Amino acid sequence: MSIFSFDTWWWPYLFITLACAIPTGMWRWVGVLAIGDISEGSRWLVLVRCIATGLVAAVIGQIIFAPTGALAMLPLWARAGSMVFGFTVFLTLRRNMALGILSGQIALAVAWFVLVGV
Amino acid sequence: MSSQSTHDKSQAVYDWSWFRRGVLSFGTLPSLVLTSAFIGFGGLARDAGVSLGQLIFMVPVVWALPSHLILVAGIAADASMLAIALAVSLASLRMLPMVMALVPEVRVPGTKRWHLLMASNLVAITAWVNLMQRSDKIPPRGRLPYFVGFALSVMVMSTLAAALVHQLAGSFPPYFMAFLTFLTPLYFATSLWNASRYSVERLALVCGFWLLPAARFVAPDFAILLAGIGAGLFSFGVYLLRGPR
Repeated sequence: MSIFSFDTWWWPYLFITLACAIPTGMWRWVGVLAIGDISEGSRWLVLVRCIATGLVAAVIGQIIFAPTGALAMLPLWARAGSMVFGFTVFLTLRRNMALGILSGQIALAVAWFVLVGV
Repeated sequence: MSSQSTHDKSQAVYDWSWFRRGVLSFGTLPSLVLTSAFIGFGGLARDAGVSLGQLIFMVPVVWALPSHLILVAGIAADASMLAIALAVSLASLRMLPMVMALVPEVRVPGTKRWHLLMASNLVAITAWVNLMQRSDKIPPRGRLPYFVGFALSVMVMSTLAAALVHQLAGSFPPYFMAFLTFLTPLYFATSLWNASRYSVERLALVCGFWLLPAARFVAPDFAILLAGIGAGLFSFGVYLLRGPR
């Protein structure tokens, strides 16, 4: 069964719900049920926060190390270098997010115009 | 920090004045980051043959960009429902610890489970990161309203952005797209660092990032899960060994 299996107007919407909305949403509902009464200060909450942070960090890594689209036009060292530069500026300048993000973007822009051109 | 502020039984459970502040945070950096990500998605969906109506439906009901990307790639390849559902459920596993970490932040005396179940549908990386980073500055009773307001406003903006790009048949210059894409990792990394409460969370952030290329080498299809869970378990091990800091 694919999205083109039935020629009715509602089938694609049901398909989107079953193939994507429920497989995504179910983990959210399981999360609410699983947390139960675990609260601040529990060591299990530290584990949960570490895994959640690690997973988002891996998503960041995916964008830098295996990008799709325009970012892939730059070599790996330029992508990783711009990321590390922006983050280092952020850490150095008292964890100022705006300055860190701006610096990373400036590094990316310089790399782009040197390596790819306008 | 304390959520034991129910001295008055007649007091409302939530402080809904924070809902408005959540809504009004559109135009700030996090909403810019997410909206820009959906700009790229609108073009991708159009190229895969997704209609405007289907696009406007799928953005809010799924509300997780990695799941959207798998769905649209599956539609483009005419893949089966089961194959897409399996890939999506693996990629969405991250929602489980994210929701579990969020609940203690927003829960107050009087919070019902169905409130959390409803609000959990709005959890996706950007809104989650935003709440985790700001919750210390929001009184406990304002956190859920703030989160809901923020997530709903970025949801509306992202859907509009994706729909607009779907209709504008053109495409953006590659540099502009690279700039938009690069906002996401920079924003996630800096805001998660600021959101951390334990030093081992910052360790997990660094490890998850640098483990990803290694995980791609071992199991390219499961690289995010492998690197993310590996980094989380390693950091928790460090926490157990040396205690909280």
